[in-house]
Amino acid sequence: MNKFRTAALALLLALTFCLPAVAVELRLAQVADVSSLDPHKVSDIYSANVIRQIYSNLVQVNEDMEIVPDLAEKWENPDDLTWIFHLRKGVKFHNGEPFTAAAVKYSIERIKDPKTASPGATHLKEVASVEVLDDYTVKIVTKHPFAPMLMSLTRYETSILNEKAVEAAGADYGSKAAVGTGPFKFESWSRGDKVVLVKNADYFRGPAAIDTVVYRGIPEDATRLVELESGGIDLIPGNFPYQEFANIEKNDKYLTYKVPAMSTLYMGLNTEVKPLGEKLVRQAMNYAVDKQGIVDAVYFGFATPSRGPLSPVIWGFDPARKAAYPYNPEKARELLKQAGYADGFDMTIYSDNRTERRNAAELIQAYLAEVGIRARIELMEWSALLSTSAKGIGGAFMLGWTGTGDADGGLTPVYHSANIGSSNRFRYKNEALDALLEKGTATLDQEARKKVYAEAQELIVEECPLVFLISQELLGASTSKVKGFKLYPNMISPLYSVTLAE
Amino acid sequence: MLRYFLKRLMFLIPVLLGVSVVIFSIVHLAPGDPAEVMLGPSATQEEISNLREQLGLTKPLYVQYGIFLKNALKGDLGRSIKSNAPVVDEILERFPVTLTLAVLGMIFAIVIGLPLGILAALKQNTWVDALCSFFALVGFSIPNFWVGLMLMLLLSIYIPILPSSGFDSWKNLIMPTIVLGIQTMAVIARMTRSSMLEVIRQDYVRTARAKGISDRLVLTRHILGNVLIPVVTIAGIYFGHQLGGVVITETIFSIPGLGRLIVDAIRAQDYPVVQGGVLFFALCVGIVNLLVDLLYAVLDPRIKAQYRAAK
Repeated sequence: MNKFRTAALALLLALTFCLPAVAVELRLAQVADVSSLDPHKVSDIYSANVIRQIYSNLVQVNEDMEIVPDLAEKWENPDDLTWIFHLRKGVKFHNGEPFTAAAVKYSIERIKDPKTASPGATHLKEVASVEVLDDYTVKIVTKHPFAPMLMSLTRYETSILNEKAVEAAGADYGSKAAVGTGPFKFESWSRGDKVVLVKNADYFRGPAAIDTVVYRGIPEDATRLVELESGGIDLIPGNFPYQEFANIEKNDKYLTYKVPAMSTLYMGLNTEVKPLGEKLVRQAMNYAVDKQGIVDAVYFGFATPSRGPLSPVIWGFDPARKAAYPYNPEKARELLKQAGYADGFDMTIYSDNRTERRNAAELIQAYLAEVGIRARIELMEWSALLSTSAKGIGGAFMLGWTGTGDADGGLTPVYHSANIGSSNRFRYKNEALDALLEKGTATLDQEARKKVYAEAQELIVEECPLVFLISQELLGASTSKVKGFKLYPNMISPLYSVTLAE
Repeated sequence: MLRYFLKRLMFLIPVLLGVSVVIFSIVHLAPGDPAEVMLGPSATQEEISNLREQLGLTKPLYVQYGIFLKNALKGDLGRSIKSNAPVVDEILERFPVTLTLAVLGMIFAIVIGLPLGILAALKQNTWVDALCSFFALVGFSIPNFWVGLMLMLLLSIYIPILPSSGFDSWKNLIMPTIVLGIQTMAVIARMTRSSMLEVIRQDYVRTARAKGISDRLVLTRHILGNVLIPVVTIAGIYFGHQLGGVVITETIFSIPGLGRLIVDAIRAQDYPVVQGGVLFFALCVGIVNLLVDLLYAVLDPRIKAQYRAAK
């Protein structure tokens, strides 16, 4: 008996050594584990990153944030309200179901259904109807001419799902099942720990080079770094700590990634609060703050002073824009005097407890003090800051804005007076600006649109219902065996073309 | 004994009810709500109120509490707002991880702490005593997240023998166990030392010695049993403490336990998970306290006699 056991063991061992090469596994660490893999029900960037690998959209953005085909091969506008998409043929969902126009109709209607309560519904609120013309042609009609349509369809929230898969999984869709048409298939999720994806051999662009992808959620910065250093993970796709980045850049054991982010950080001003309603005061505050100081002290150099309300990687950013309100405390004092506040005034800056925002607020407090403005800082819970500022906060507030990648998403929610009470937290109303933003949304000719948005940016900088601060850079790092990884400005980076060297 | 046990078990019911009211109120009265967190800064008022309705947050608070309580009694703690998974599943999936850690931490604390305390007491006022006491003081004073990071540097980078995070093999448990147990270890060491010193001077110990019983036998038969009672009390209290300390340890080492579940849920204002998780923690602490009480009876015949008398 014992002999038999030994023989069996020896055989097993021999077999193990004969097995073909080990599967190529790429291990990534994000700040948090995913919350769900149902694209229509999540709103966090960590889930978005994993969703991006599993699902496809009608159209996608490339690394320069330009719109490129995905499930739709081409598209046309017979009139300003109609979008016709010609779909790719022969695409299969991970459960074997064929991808057809019906899936597009199903997905868009699911997002728009109030019962889904999808955070992505806002991107499709202009959609009036979706019609299947034939298996590979779909028509979307909008309520008004809606130029940002394509950008909305690139969003992870508008991923294309398979009806049968969603129905079959019921309430477990997104936690125990996730079916898309992307380069990687959902394999397993151990909640709070990691998500495992495997290569989709039938991917319509051909199979990826990597066999397995493991996304781990590691909340501690230090632990993520130790894992990278000790070889526990291969790649940190974003959220690399600013203060550590200069060191790792110098170390040739690692590759580093750096791109300007889509988001901007600013200090919003509630224009209904005295004296923040006065333009001269707001301009004075803008001149009083040294943005480069914030870049250096808070972001360790990995940011640039804002060049207006949009980050330079957003479509529609006016490249002619220079840094808004260069540091000039003299001018700030002069403007304050002109406005009748030669002795300054008292105000409150609200912020949540995120290190960078809190630190930036403290610096701003010091800069404002130099010109006589006495600011005190009040920290709030994130969700409390969101709701209080939407209803009208008692002063200034630290906030970032990412938008959709299109100027419309970067400007309309924040500056249009129709959004006072929700995302227009400045409670700022300017009819000329409203008109420009509406024109920008309704003009389908992209070149003409750019001019409209250039004008809008100029007007916003002049009126400044906020203190322009910085656009940060996204930072990532990997071991040197990771090849072909590109960090995307929207922080959602596809892994399809990544390879691992031995 | 059984009747006493059942009676004590009944006492848990008002405790849990109280905890449920408190946690429910805290969670719901704190500013902000899950709809806002989920929908983010771009949400319109309409979208937020639509989601609030979907989540059942528009009903009056006492109605919401009633629904929560009714379902909880049936063993249904609702579904997570964030992941839509049943809260009971989420808790049961993660509780074994946390329990493993807490038990290992306690074993570590006792296995190191108890001998350290005994040694210090036996060699009172010598350099051994000073060293043990110093060790205990340091163990108690240094913050455990710092110990965690230092261990990680040492054992994952300088001498790379242990994985720094995750939960894949027994190797992942070594550092978290030390981090979690180190404070309890220090407390147990100090408690054991002082308790030993007290017992050593008791008449019955002197008598035993006088009878010529060997030192070793005196220690195991006459001293240790009596030393253990206060130590068990402390260990019991600290076990609850460790269930709490698990939050930090799980975060540093990125371990998918109950502590991290609750912290993440608090951040996302995921009401059902916070309520269910805290309630479950309360139940655990209650049960541990009960077990400690029962353990007294095993260790101390006098207490057992009291139970009998109380019948």
